[in-house]
Amino acid sequence: MKVKVISRSTDEFTRERSQDLQRVFHNFDPNLRTQEKAVEYQRALNAAKLDKIFARPFIGAMDGHIDAISSMAKNPNYLKGIFSGSMDGDIRLWDIANRRTVCRFPGHQGAVRGLTASTDGSTLVSCGTDCTVRLWNVPVATIMESDNLSDCSSEPRAVYMGENAFWAVDHQWNGDLFATAGAQVDIWNHNRSQPVNSFKWGTDSVISVRFNPGEPNLLVTSARSKQLSKCVNYYEYNILSTCEPTWNFKMETGSAKFDPKLGLIFPISQIDRSIILYDLRVSSPARKLIMRTKTNSISWNPMEPMNFTAANEDCNCYSYDARKLDEAKCVHKDHVSAVMDIDFSPTGREFVTGSYDRTVRIFQYNGGHSREIYHTKRMQRVFCVKFSCDASYVVSGSDDTNLRLWKAKASEQLGVLLPREQKRHEYNEALKNRYKHLPEVKRIVRHRHLPRPIYKAGVLRRVMIEAERRKDQRRKAHSALGSIVTEPMRKRRIIKEVD
Amino acid sequence: MQSHKMIEKKRKSRDGKKHDRPQKFTKKSKFSKKKGKNEDEKRRTGPRLPQSLRKELDRVNPNDQSCSEEDEEDVNGDVYEYEEGVPEEESKKNRRFDSVENYEYELPKDFKDENVDSDEDDDFDGGENEIAHHKGKKGDLDQLDDDVEDEDDERHLRMLQGITGMPSQAFQDRKKNKVVVSEGYPESEYNPTRDVLDGDGRIAIEDLLESIQGKPGYRELRKITRQVEKKGKLLQAPLPKEDRDRLERIAAYKQSKKDITRWEPLVKRNREAPTIIFDKDTDSGFSTIGAIASEFEPRTEFEKKMSSLVNDDDVMAAHKEDGSRLLELNKISLEDYINSRNHIAKMRSLLFRHEVKMKRVKKIKSKTYHRLLKKDRLKGSVGMPMDAEEAKELAMKQEFKRAEERMTLRHKNQSKWAQRIVKRGMDAQDEGTRAAMAEQLHQHALLTRKMNSMKDSSSSDDSSDEEDSEKSDGSDEDKASKLLAQAQEKTRRVLEEDDGVPDSGVLSLPFMKRAMKKRKEAADEEGRLAIQEFESSLKELEDTDGAKITKTGTVSGRRVFGASKTQVIEPKNKIRSSSYSSDSEAELEAQEDIDVSLGRTDDMENNINVNSVSLYVDADIAQDSVLKNSELVKDLGPKMTYEVSMLKSNKWKKMSSSRNEVDTNGKRSQKVVEPVTHNQDIELEGVGEDSDADSEGQMLDGILSSEHKSSYKLPSQAELIREAFAGDDVQEEFNKDKEEIMNLENPEPEKPVQLPGWGQWTRVQKKKGLPSWVLEEHENAKRNREETLRKRKDAHLKHVIISEKLDKKAEKLLTGTLPYPFTSKEVFEQSIRMPIGPEFNPATAVKALIRPEVVKKQGLIIKPIRYEDVDSHERGGEERRQSGQKRRINRNKGRVKAVVAKS
Repeated sequence: MKVKVISRSTDEFTRERSQDLQRVFHNFDPNLRTQEKAVEYQRALNAAKLDKIFARPFIGAMDGHIDAISSMAKNPNYLKGIFSGSMDGDIRLWDIANRRTVCRFPGHQGAVRGLTASTDGSTLVSCGTDCTVRLWNVPVATIMESDNLSDCSSEPRAVYMGENAFWAVDHQWNGDLFATAGAQVDIWNHNRSQPVNSFKWGTDSVISVRFNPGEPNLLVTSARSKQLSKCVNYYEYNILSTCEPTWNFKMETGSAKFDPKLGLIFPISQIDRSIILYDLRVSSPARKLIMRTKTNSISWNPMEPMNFTAANEDCNCYSYDARKLDEAKCVHKDHVSAVMDIDFSPTGREFVTGSYDRTVRIFQYNGGHSREIYHTKRMQRVFCVKFSCDASYVVSGSDDTNLRLWKAKASEQLGVLLPREQKRHEYNEALKNRYKHLPEVKRIVRHRHLPRPIYKAGVLRRVMIEAERRKDQRRKAHSALGSIVTEPMRKRRIIKEVD
Repeated sequence: MQSHKMIEKKRKSRDGKKHDRPQKFTKKSKFSKKKGKNEDEKRRTGPRLPQSLRKELDRVNPNDQSCSEEDEEDVNGDVYEYEEGVPEEESKKNRRFDSVENYEYELPKDFKDENVDSDEDDDFDGGENEIAHHKGKKGDLDQLDDDVEDEDDERHLRMLQGITGMPSQAFQDRKKNKVVVSEGYPESEYNPTRDVLDGDGRIAIEDLLESIQGKPGYRELRKITRQVEKKGKLLQAPLPKEDRDRLERIAAYKQSKKDITRWEPLVKRNREAPTIIFDKDTDSGFSTIGAIASEFEPRTEFEKKMSSLVNDDDVMAAHKEDGSRLLELNKISLEDYINSRNHIAKMRSLLFRHEVKMKRVKKIKSKTYHRLLKKDRLKGSVGMPMDAEEAKELAMKQEFKRAEERMTLRHKNQSKWAQRIVKRGMDAQDEGTRAAMAEQLHQHALLTRKMNSMKDSSSSDDSSDEEDSEKSDGSDEDKASKLLAQAQEKTRRVLEEDDGVPDSGVLSLPFMKRAMKKRKEAADEEGRLAIQEFESSLKELEDTDGAKITKTGTVSGRRVFGASKTQVIEPKNKIRSSSYSSDSEAELEAQEDIDVSLGRTDDMENNINVNSVSLYVDADIAQDSVLKNSELVKDLGPKMTYEVSMLKSNKWKKMSSSRNEVDTNGKRSQKVVEPVTHNQDIELEGVGEDSDADSEGQMLDGILSSEHKSSYKLPSQAELIREAFAGDDVQEEFNKDKEEIMNLENPEPEKPVQLPGWGQWTRVQKKKGLPSWVLEEHENAKRNREETLRKRKDAHLKHVIISEKLDKKAEKLLTGTLPYPFTSKEVFEQSIRMPIGPEFNPATAVKALIRPEVVKKQGLIIKPIRYEDVDSHERGGEERRQSGQKRRINRNKGRVKAVVAKS
């Protein structure tokens, strides 16, 4: 008689510890499971739906300021600390975990336009429209944690006077230099009351400055022409976003024009909406790029030192390679009004933008459209945004005097995850990523509820762009072959590159 | 203009040593010129000459200088070769430059020159000054000039002589020539003559070198100078600031571009990585106990005190040296001593008081008090943790209690009180009594159950023991016979029992019935045999009773009996195992019955059993043989037909094999004992013979040409196929299918039917028939259908069906266009082909398959990139790190094989 038994070698099946899992054998022959693709597709669909269900990005608001938040800075050395400056000159240090003010830095007379902290997190530099640069000592983290100290305030360590109002400040990574922007770009040392270096190129006033975190001697600034600033403001505060194309048209022409909508004459004699690269080692500016519209803010990619992204007034963000400024590498569109601030995630894979249209969006570093949009009923114009140092949170400061804390991934589960939970999330994420191109999954993943004004503005914007495109097409069709060349969007907004 | 200025500047710098005086002079001269300023300005309209030329002109016709420059132009027409345009700033054509009154300071007109006799005056003076100068004092100047010139020449000669060491004649000649030309100016370094301008009169380095000819080092010096001459270049004028800045910026940009480019391989690597891990090496804690201890800091008062004592330097030192000093350190102060003594005294007094109290308690005679006390104590001790001995004691106590309960059955309604209550009936009792009874029963259950649970392992044995004890009432001797009788009885009953044949189901089929009947007969037979044997054995048993008694008499008591029982049981088991092989159910039942009944029998019984078993085995064999035969017959049937068909279709092919099979069959049948039907046998034989004959022929055809071979023709492939598909018409079927599909996708329009009374009165309907529009519509629909059918993609393809129906369910699984990063459909499909779930992949692969693009820890600060040299050509799966803060896992393209990061 033939007897069949399962034979297993003992040393393969003996567990080392009693807690060890028993070995389970699985036949992975695909012929046994013919439905695997269907199963996984369904799972991907479910994962996408679950993501929607669990999408609760808003964690909390931090209130305390009594005027609009104008600037923010994160502490590069301490995860929970974030600084915010407001239009009335108040600077506060927040504990993100508890969402309360830890310390205040009174002193500024006008709006605080720029805030930055040194890499070791011990020094805070602020500047503002009162023509002063102030250096502050940041309280130590342990003091921050203790509960009894609810609202300490500190005196500035140093106050340096300038001649003009300052618009922005940024600190060098791993160095003791910081740069302020105003009428010109000044490079300061912590210990000197006078700038160690000043740069000026052109007649424009500089409105933002950023050091390259990878290459600490490289910095980029954006500027706008002084003559225009008034008009820009008028435009900003009166007509929203939607008149943007007409505005652009005005800017292109380069001579005085009458705008029927605004009833203003634009004195466009010398326009400079430039992005300038500086190199501190040779202590000279390196390259200037002039765009059609103002660049409000710039952020370097911390993982790719050659790339930076500029938040532009024309609702788009433009990613540039500092070596090839003749065209943008990527145009990130989705906002319906001017983009006010931008900050890269420390991973370098995505960035967050805050816009005048009252929304915060998160983009992939190479994605043309946003991955995520955040808005609340009470959030007004967003003036500044920051990504947290661990790349899992986003902080936005807006006109309504509040800082808001968001999750970078809307449906992420907070807290400690068990390994199995972690694995489950990863699996769901991988499935979603795999089937993201299929229509159903795509629809669910992309769908967002928007406030009506934003939605309508978006639709209108799309209509206008489409109309322009159509017109261009027709013009091209009715003119001689090759006489009209349509430039790609990456080049269209660039006027010229100046060396 | 720029170049002019430059030349002037250079000149100034050149006469460094003579700097003082000329300055003084210029001032003076300027003063003197102030008055003629306006006139000068007016005059300066024509094309300007190079200053040197103009000077020369001045010298040639000093008188003309007084007249206006208009005529100067005429005069000069033949002298100079080229015209220099008026600089823009002077022409004042455009107002781009600020207008300056005059470029150099001029003296007022009425200024008188005091004493102008130094040679440098003239030497130095530029064109314009010269003019003014001459204008001022024309008369005496000529004379003065001559004097000065002579003096100057002399000096110059002397100087040249001194420097070059050549005789003065050599220079005199030259000078003479000059005089002939009548230069307006005395020749000097600063007033070069024409030949100087041409390049003759300049003092070259060679001239200077000649003076030291022959001296040591001369040769080297000359060599150097030659080299310098060869390479020598003139310095260019600096560019304007804007241009310079621009160039600087270009250079800076180039430099920074280069610097940034060095990041490229690093960035490329990170971008291409399937996973980028931000995982700084964070210390999860301390590695050793020592490390933990070293970090310890005393926080509370007590800890601080302890640490101060432990870490006392004296104590440490004493420990290190030897114990003797420790004794000294052990000294106790008087205060401490007093304190400790007081403490001890207090403790003692407390102890004493406790003792006194206990004595008093002991004296109390009240039982109630003591009972309560004990209860309290017990209660207190229940929750307390106890040591092993105590636990053992407790266990013993409980065990004793249980034993007591078992003995007395105190809680099993055995007491008088309980019996009385039971007698009176539970219904008559009040609530409390019933509760008490229930409680008692419960107590009993609890105690007995506990006992059972203690002896859990041996429970089954106990039950059998009890059974035994129950049965042990009767005498042992009787038992065997009794059992035998029982067995007999049972067997009989089974035999008599007429098992009803089921009317329905499989068993109701006739052949099944037959089989059952057969089986039953066999079983009955056996049963009868068994009964007979039982009877005989019973008789024997009665005979040997006496012997048995003696045998069992020697051994008494349960234990011994148990031992004998086990002995007996063993062979029984054997029998059982052997009997399992038998097929018939009835037998099995009987067997079992017998087994049960033969609880404790001796060898004789065993014998009986063995006999019966041998009988069963015989029966088995018989039955088996029958079965086998029938099987064989069954087997043969289909095989035969198969062979026949083979012979019919392709004999030439399978002949040998079939023959073999038949042979084996034949062998088997020979092996099988007689009961095979005769005709079958014959058939079989016939077949065998046939096949044999065939095979012989076959064998022959290998060598000789046999008749079979010649008669058979190999069919062609087409023929074979035609034969194979003789029945079915594929083409027709396909056409039908196609038509069906076409109809399904474009259904034929319904034929219009007339519904009486619908749309029109019935009579009208009858008269007119169907309304025209209905017909028209029908026609249209038909036409449309034909049109669409004609337009179908497969309309002209005869053998193809292209379905144009859109499958909505499938549509959601397809993308409209090729997704962005993919360049071809195949790649995209490949990317989603393999499943990634844990059900479809081994656990090791799943981890790599589902790893996200960015792995980061929450709460870990991610620093910006830091530079690190990357070999761009390096490829493969080994793990690389980025300065301790970033790791990347490279996976093979095959996705499944991932390299697990080692930390």
